[in-house]
Amino acid sequence: MKDGPAFMLTNTEIEKYDRQINIPEIGHCGQEKLKLAKVFISGAGGLGSPAALYLAAAGIGNIKIVDQDRVSLSNLNRQILHGEADVGRFKVDSAKDSMVRLNPEVNIETAPQTITTDNVSRLVSGYDIIIDGLDNFETRLILNKTAINLGIPFIHGAVNGFEGRATTVIPGRSTCLRCMHKEGCGPMAIKFPVIGVTPAVIGAILATEAIKFLLGIGDLLTNRLIVYDGLTLCWAEFKLKMNPKCDHCGHLQKKGVL
Amino acid sequence: MSIKISLHKTHRQFTQGLSTVEVNGRTINDCLKALIQNYPKMGKVLFDSEGKLSKLIEIYINMESAYPDELKKPVKDGDEIHITIMLAGG
Repeated sequence: MKDGPAFMLTNTEIEKYDRQINIPEIGHCGQEKLKLAKVFISGAGGLGSPAALYLAAAGIGNIKIVDQDRVSLSNLNRQILHGEADVGRFKVDSAKDSMVRLNPEVNIETAPQTITTDNVSRLVSGYDIIIDGLDNFETRLILNKTAINLGIPFIHGAVNGFEGRATTVIPGRSTCLRCMHKEGCGPMAIKFPVIGVTPAVIGAILATEAIKFLLGIGDLLTNRLIVYDGLTLCWAEFKLKMNPKCDHCGHLQKKGVL
Repeated sequence: MSIKISLHKTHRQFTQGLSTVEVNGRTINDCLKALIQNYPKMGKVLFDSEGKLSKLIEIYINMESAYPDELKKPVKDGDEIHITIMLAGG
Protein backbone atom coordinates (compact mmCIF):
# COMPACT_ATOMS: atom_id res chain seq x y z
CA MET A 1 0.00 0.00 0.00
CA LYS A 2 1.29 3.44 -0.89
CA ASP A 3 2.18 5.65 2.08
CA GLY A 4 -0.33 8.39 2.87
CA PRO A 5 0.47 12.01 3.75
CA ALA A 6 3.28 12.50 6.26
CA PHE A 7 0.93 13.12 9.16
CA MET A 8 -0.96 9.88 8.63
CA LEU A 9 -0.13 7.05 10.98
CA THR A 10 1.25 3.84 9.54
CA ASN A 11 -0.14 0.51 10.67
CA THR A 12 3.00 -0.02 12.73
CA GLU A 13 2.49 3.31 14.45
CA ILE A 14 -1.14 2.59 15.14
CA GLU A 15 -0.07 -0.62 16.87
CA LYS A 16 2.87 0.99 18.66
CA TYR A 17 0.81 3.82 20.14
CA ASP A 18 -2.33 1.78 20.71
CA ARG A 19 -2.38 2.29 24.48
CA GLN A 20 -2.21 6.07 24.24
CA ILE A 21 -4.45 6.36 21.19
CA ASN A 22 -7.01 4.73 23.45
CA ILE A 23 -6.86 7.69 25.81
CA PRO A 24 -9.91 9.80 24.90
CA GLU A 25 -7.94 13.05 25.12
CA ILE A 26 -5.40 11.76 22.57
CA GLY A 27 -7.08 9.48 20.08
CA HIS A 28 -5.98 8.94 16.48
CA CYS A 29 -6.03 12.67 15.65
CA GLY A 30 -3.94 13.50 18.70
CA GLN A 31 -1.37 10.92 17.74
CA GLU A 32 -1.14 12.48 14.30
CA LYS A 33 -0.55 15.87 15.92
CA LEU A 34 2.29 14.37 17.96
CA LYS A 35 3.78 12.92 14.80
CA LEU A 36 3.84 16.37 13.21
CA ALA A 37 5.18 18.11 16.32
CA LYS A 38 8.63 19.64 16.67
CA VAL A 39 10.10 19.72 20.17
CA PHE A 40 13.34 21.42 21.15
CA ILE A 41 15.15 19.98 24.18
CA SER A 42 17.92 22.05 25.71
CA GLY A 43 20.26 19.74 27.54
CA ALA A 44 20.79 16.00 27.40
CA GLY A 45 21.36 15.71 31.13
CA GLY A 46 19.27 14.77 34.14
CA LEU A 47 16.10 16.54 33.03
CA GLY A 48 16.64 16.18 29.30
CA SER A 49 17.09 12.41 29.56
CA PRO A 50 13.65 11.38 30.81
CA ALA A 51 11.97 14.15 28.83
CA ALA A 52 13.64 13.05 25.58
CA LEU A 53 13.00 9.35 26.15
CA TYR A 54 9.33 9.76 27.01
CA LEU A 55 8.73 12.18 24.15
CA ALA A 56 10.42 9.79 21.73
CA ALA A 57 8.39 6.91 23.13
CA ALA A 58 5.20 8.95 22.78
CA GLY A 59 5.85 9.39 19.07
CA ILE A 60 6.81 13.06 18.85
CA GLY A 61 7.77 13.23 15.20
CA ASN A 62 10.65 15.67 15.40
CA ILE A 63 13.00 16.27 18.32
CA LYS A 64 16.06 18.48 18.41
CA ILE A 65 18.42 18.05 21.34
CA VAL A 66 21.26 20.45 22.10
CA ASP A 67 24.10 19.96 24.57
CA GLN A 68 27.75 20.93 24.33
CA ASP A 69 29.04 18.41 26.87
CA ARG A 70 30.51 14.97 26.59
CA VAL A 71 29.35 12.11 28.78
CA SER A 72 31.30 11.61 32.00
CA LEU A 73 31.05 8.84 34.56
CA SER A 74 29.54 11.16 37.17
CA ASN A 75 26.59 11.89 34.83
CA LEU A 76 25.33 8.34 34.87
CA ASN A 77 23.46 8.35 38.20
CA ARG A 78 20.76 10.43 36.55
CA GLN A 79 21.37 10.95 32.83
CA ILE A 80 19.71 7.79 31.59
CA LEU A 81 20.18 8.63 27.93
CA HIS A 82 23.79 7.55 28.38
CA GLY A 83 25.63 4.47 29.59
CA GLU A 84 29.18 3.65 30.61
CA ALA A 85 30.11 2.78 27.04
CA ASP A 86 29.21 6.37 26.06
CA VAL A 87 31.70 8.06 28.38
CA GLY A 88 33.68 10.55 26.31
CA ARG A 89 31.12 10.81 23.51
CA PHE A 90 29.06 13.91 22.86
CA LYS A 91 25.89 13.62 24.91
CA VAL A 92 23.77 14.46 21.91
CA ASP A 93 25.22 11.49 20.01
CA SER A 94 24.45 8.96 22.72
CA ALA A 95 21.11 10.69 23.28
CA LYS A 96 20.23 10.16 19.64
CA ASP A 97 21.30 6.51 19.81
CA SER A 98 19.07 5.93 22.86
CA MET A 99 16.06 7.63 21.30
CA VAL A 100 16.51 5.83 17.99
CA ARG A 101 16.78 2.51 19.82
CA LEU A 102 13.52 3.30 21.56
CA ASN A 103 11.74 4.67 18.53
CA PRO A 104 13.45 4.66 15.13
CA GLU A 105 10.56 6.56 13.55
CA VAL A 106 11.34 9.79 15.36
CA ASN A 107 13.31 12.33 13.34
CA ILE A 108 16.11 13.47 15.65
CA GLU A 109 18.37 16.44 15.12
CA THR A 110 21.37 17.05 17.32
CA ALA A 111 23.63 20.00 17.98
CA PRO A 112 26.72 19.63 20.21
CA GLN A 113 26.70 23.34 20.95
CA THR A 114 26.50 25.76 23.82
CA ILE A 115 23.33 27.83 23.70
CA THR A 116 24.33 31.50 23.49
CA THR A 117 22.62 34.78 22.69
CA ASP A 118 24.23 34.56 19.23
CA ASN A 119 22.94 31.15 18.20
CA VAL A 120 19.78 30.64 20.25
CA SER A 121 17.28 32.04 17.73
CA ARG A 122 18.69 29.93 14.92
CA LEU A 123 18.64 26.82 17.13
CA VAL A 124 15.03 27.09 18.29
CA SER A 125 13.36 28.69 15.26
CA GLY A 126 10.61 26.56 13.78
CA TYR A 127 10.05 24.48 16.90
CA ASP A 128 6.64 24.22 18.55
CA ILE A 129 7.87 24.11 22.12
CA ILE A 130 11.10 24.40 24.11
CA ILE A 131 11.96 22.14 27.02
CA ASP A 132 14.37 23.43 29.63
CA GLY A 133 16.78 20.69 30.63
CA LEU A 134 19.59 23.10 31.45
CA ASP A 135 21.86 23.17 34.47
CA ASN A 136 22.28 26.91 34.93
CA PHE A 137 20.01 29.90 35.30
CA GLU A 138 21.83 32.25 32.96
CA THR A 139 21.23 30.10 29.88
CA ARG A 140 17.64 29.57 31.02
CA LEU A 141 17.15 33.33 30.83
CA ILE A 142 18.59 33.37 27.30
CA LEU A 143 16.08 30.68 26.28
CA ASN A 144 13.26 32.41 28.17
CA LYS A 145 13.84 35.69 26.32
CA THR A 146 14.14 34.01 22.93
CA ALA A 147 11.05 31.90 23.54
CA ILE A 148 9.09 35.08 24.28
CA ASN A 149 10.47 36.95 21.28
CA LEU A 150 9.62 34.06 18.95
CA GLY A 151 6.33 33.19 20.65
CA ILE A 152 7.38 29.65 21.49
CA PRO A 153 6.13 28.07 24.74
CA PHE A 154 8.91 27.30 27.21
CA ILE A 155 8.64 24.61 29.86
CA HIS A 156 10.94 25.21 32.80
CA GLY A 157 12.24 22.62 35.20
CA ALA A 158 15.06 22.58 37.75
CA VAL A 159 16.33 20.20 40.40
CA ASN A 160 18.64 19.99 43.37
CA GLY A 161 19.02 17.01 45.66
CA PHE A 162 15.59 15.53 46.28
CA GLU A 163 13.84 18.77 45.30
CA GLY A 164 12.52 19.85 41.94
CA ARG A 165 10.22 22.40 40.36
CA ALA A 166 8.43 23.15 37.13
CA THR A 167 6.37 25.85 35.48
CA THR A 168 5.18 26.51 31.92
CA VAL A 169 5.66 29.81 30.12
CA ILE A 170 3.25 30.74 27.34
CA PRO A 171 4.78 33.94 25.93
CA GLY A 172 2.74 37.03 26.77
CA ARG A 173 0.05 34.98 28.45
CA SER A 174 1.69 33.65 31.58
CA THR A 175 4.47 34.40 34.00
CA CYS A 176 7.93 33.97 32.52
CA LEU A 177 11.14 33.16 34.35
CA ARG A 178 12.17 36.79 34.24
CA CYS A 179 8.86 37.84 35.83
CA MET A 180 9.93 35.74 38.80
CA HIS A 181 13.50 36.97 39.06
CA LYS A 182 14.81 40.33 37.95
CA GLU A 183 18.34 39.05 38.29
CA GLY A 184 19.70 35.58 37.82
CA CYS A 185 21.32 33.96 40.79
CA GLY A 186 24.80 34.29 39.30
CA PRO A 187 27.14 31.37 38.96
CA MET A 188 26.11 28.46 41.15
CA ALA A 189 28.01 25.34 42.03
CA ILE A 190 28.43 23.34 38.84
CA LYS A 191 28.44 20.11 40.81
CA PHE A 192 25.01 20.50 42.31
CA PRO A 193 23.95 17.45 44.32
CA VAL A 194 21.18 15.33 42.86
CA ILE A 195 19.84 11.81 42.81
CA GLY A 196 18.46 10.52 39.52
CA VAL A 197 14.91 9.97 40.69
CA THR A 198 14.42 13.72 41.16
CA PRO A 199 15.03 14.77 37.53
CA ALA A 200 13.13 11.61 36.55
CA VAL A 201 10.02 13.06 38.21
CA ILE A 202 10.50 16.60 36.95
CA GLY A 203 11.65 15.53 33.46
CA ALA A 204 8.49 13.44 33.11
CA ILE A 205 6.46 16.51 34.05
CA LEU A 206 8.22 18.56 31.37
CA ALA A 207 7.34 15.88 28.81
CA THR A 208 3.75 15.78 30.11
CA GLU A 209 3.40 19.53 29.70
CA ALA A 210 4.81 19.35 26.16
CA ILE A 211 2.34 16.63 25.16
CA LYS A 212 -0.58 18.53 26.73
CA PHE A 213 0.38 21.73 24.94
CA LEU A 214 0.83 20.01 21.59
CA LEU A 215 -2.57 18.36 21.90
CA GLY A 216 -4.33 21.34 23.48
CA ILE A 217 -5.57 19.28 26.41
CA GLY A 218 -5.60 19.58 30.19
CA ASP A 219 -4.49 22.50 32.32
CA LEU A 220 -0.94 23.69 31.81
CA LEU A 221 1.35 24.79 34.59
CA THR A 222 0.90 28.41 33.58
CA ASN A 223 1.12 30.98 36.36
CA ARG A 224 1.80 28.08 38.69
CA LEU A 225 5.06 26.81 40.13
CA ILE A 226 4.99 23.31 41.49
CA VAL A 227 7.69 22.35 43.93
CA TYR A 228 8.38 18.70 44.63
CA ASP A 229 10.11 17.32 47.71
CA GLY A 230 11.09 13.70 47.23
CA LEU A 231 12.01 13.27 50.88
CA THR A 232 8.48 13.95 52.10
CA LEU A 233 6.75 13.23 48.80
CA CYS A 234 4.89 16.48 49.26
CA TRP A 235 4.09 18.93 46.49
CA ALA A 236 3.60 22.65 46.96
CA GLU A 237 1.91 24.82 44.36
CA PHE A 238 2.62 28.51 44.29
CA LYS A 239 0.70 31.06 42.27
CA LEU A 240 2.85 33.21 40.00
CA LYS A 241 2.06 36.67 38.70
CA MET A 242 3.13 38.32 35.48
CA ASN A 243 5.32 41.33 36.16
CA PRO A 244 4.19 44.34 34.07
CA LYS A 245 7.75 45.70 34.31
CA CYS A 246 9.31 42.47 33.10
CA ASP A 247 12.02 43.30 30.56
CA HIS A 248 11.41 40.02 28.73
CA CYS A 249 7.62 39.89 28.36
CA GLY A 250 6.34 43.22 29.74
CA HIS A 251 6.09 44.69 26.21
CA LEU A 252 3.61 41.99 25.25
CA GLN A 253 1.49 42.81 28.28
CA LYS A 254 1.50 46.52 27.37
CA LYS A 255 0.47 45.79 23.80
CA GLY A 256 -2.59 44.02 25.11
CA VAL A 257 -1.55 40.72 23.64
CA LEU A 258 -3.07 39.01 26.69
CA MET B 1 -0.26 40.05 64.42
CA SER B 2 0.92 36.49 64.13
CA ILE B 3 2.51 35.52 60.85
CA LYS B 4 3.71 32.01 60.14
CA ILE B 5 6.96 31.62 58.24
CA SER B 6 7.58 28.28 56.54
CA LEU B 7 11.26 27.63 56.07
CA HIS B 8 13.03 25.81 53.30
CA LYS B 9 14.49 22.56 54.52
CA THR B 10 18.07 23.74 53.92
CA HIS B 11 17.44 26.62 56.32
CA ARG B 12 16.08 24.59 59.19
CA GLN B 13 19.59 23.94 60.45
CA PHE B 14 19.55 27.62 61.45
CA THR B 15 16.18 27.46 63.25
CA GLN B 16 16.89 24.56 65.59
CA GLY B 17 15.21 22.22 63.12
CA LEU B 18 11.92 24.10 63.09
CA SER B 19 10.07 24.05 59.79
CA THR B 20 7.78 26.94 60.74
CA VAL B 21 8.28 29.95 62.96
CA GLU B 22 5.65 32.44 64.17
CA VAL B 23 6.59 36.11 64.10
CA ASN B 24 4.98 39.52 64.30
CA GLY B 25 5.19 42.26 61.70
CA ARG B 26 3.32 44.50 59.28
CA THR B 27 5.47 43.81 56.22
CA ILE B 28 7.48 40.89 54.93
CA ASN B 29 10.60 42.84 55.85
CA ASP B 30 9.37 43.16 59.46
CA CYS B 31 8.75 39.42 59.58
CA LEU B 32 12.15 38.50 58.17
CA LYS B 33 13.88 40.83 60.62
CA ALA B 34 11.91 39.25 63.46
CA LEU B 35 12.96 35.83 62.23
CA ILE B 36 16.60 36.90 62.15
CA GLN B 37 16.31 38.37 65.63
CA ASN B 38 15.33 34.95 66.93
CA TYR B 39 17.61 32.99 64.62
CA PRO B 40 20.58 35.23 63.73
CA LYS B 41 22.16 32.75 61.31
CA MET B 42 19.19 33.29 58.98
CA GLY B 43 20.57 36.78 58.35
CA LYS B 44 23.33 35.66 56.00
CA VAL B 45 20.97 33.26 54.29
CA LEU B 46 18.32 35.85 53.50
CA PHE B 47 20.34 38.99 52.82
CA ASP B 48 23.52 39.69 50.87
CA SER B 49 26.45 41.77 52.08
CA GLU B 50 24.72 44.95 50.90
CA GLY B 51 21.61 44.18 52.90
CA LYS B 52 19.52 43.25 49.85
CA LEU B 53 17.39 40.15 49.71
CA SER B 54 19.58 37.33 48.38
CA LYS B 55 19.11 36.52 44.70
CA LEU B 56 18.68 32.88 45.64
CA ILE B 57 15.69 33.53 47.89
CA GLU B 58 12.08 33.44 46.76
CA ILE B 59 9.27 34.68 48.98
CA TYR B 60 5.66 33.63 48.69
CA ILE B 61 2.80 34.98 50.74
CA ASN B 62 -0.24 32.78 51.15
CA MET B 63 1.17 30.57 48.35
CA GLU B 64 1.44 33.51 45.95
CA SER B 65 4.63 35.08 44.66
CA ALA B 66 5.59 38.25 46.51
CA TYR B 67 8.03 39.33 43.79
CA PRO B 68 8.86 42.15 42.99
CA ASP B 69 9.49 44.43 45.97
CA GLU B 70 8.91 41.50 48.28
CA LEU B 71 10.16 43.21 51.42
CA LYS B 72 7.62 46.05 51.21
CA LYS B 73 4.60 43.78 50.86
CA PRO B 74 2.15 44.13 53.76
CA VAL B 75 1.08 41.14 55.82
CA LYS B 76 -1.80 40.64 58.17
CA ASP B 77 -2.67 38.38 61.05
CA GLY B 78 -2.92 34.77 59.92
CA ASP B 79 -0.84 35.20 56.76
CA GLU B 80 1.76 32.60 55.88
CA ILE B 81 5.12 33.40 54.34
CA HIS B 82 7.02 30.69 52.48
CA ILE B 83 10.74 31.08 52.01
CA THR B 84 12.14 28.93 49.22
CA ILE B 85 15.33 28.92 47.21
CA MET B 86 15.79 29.15 43.49
CA LEU B 87 16.95 25.87 41.93
CA ALA B 88 19.18 25.81 38.90
CA GLY B 89 20.29 22.21 38.50
CA GLY B 90 19.22 20.02 35.66
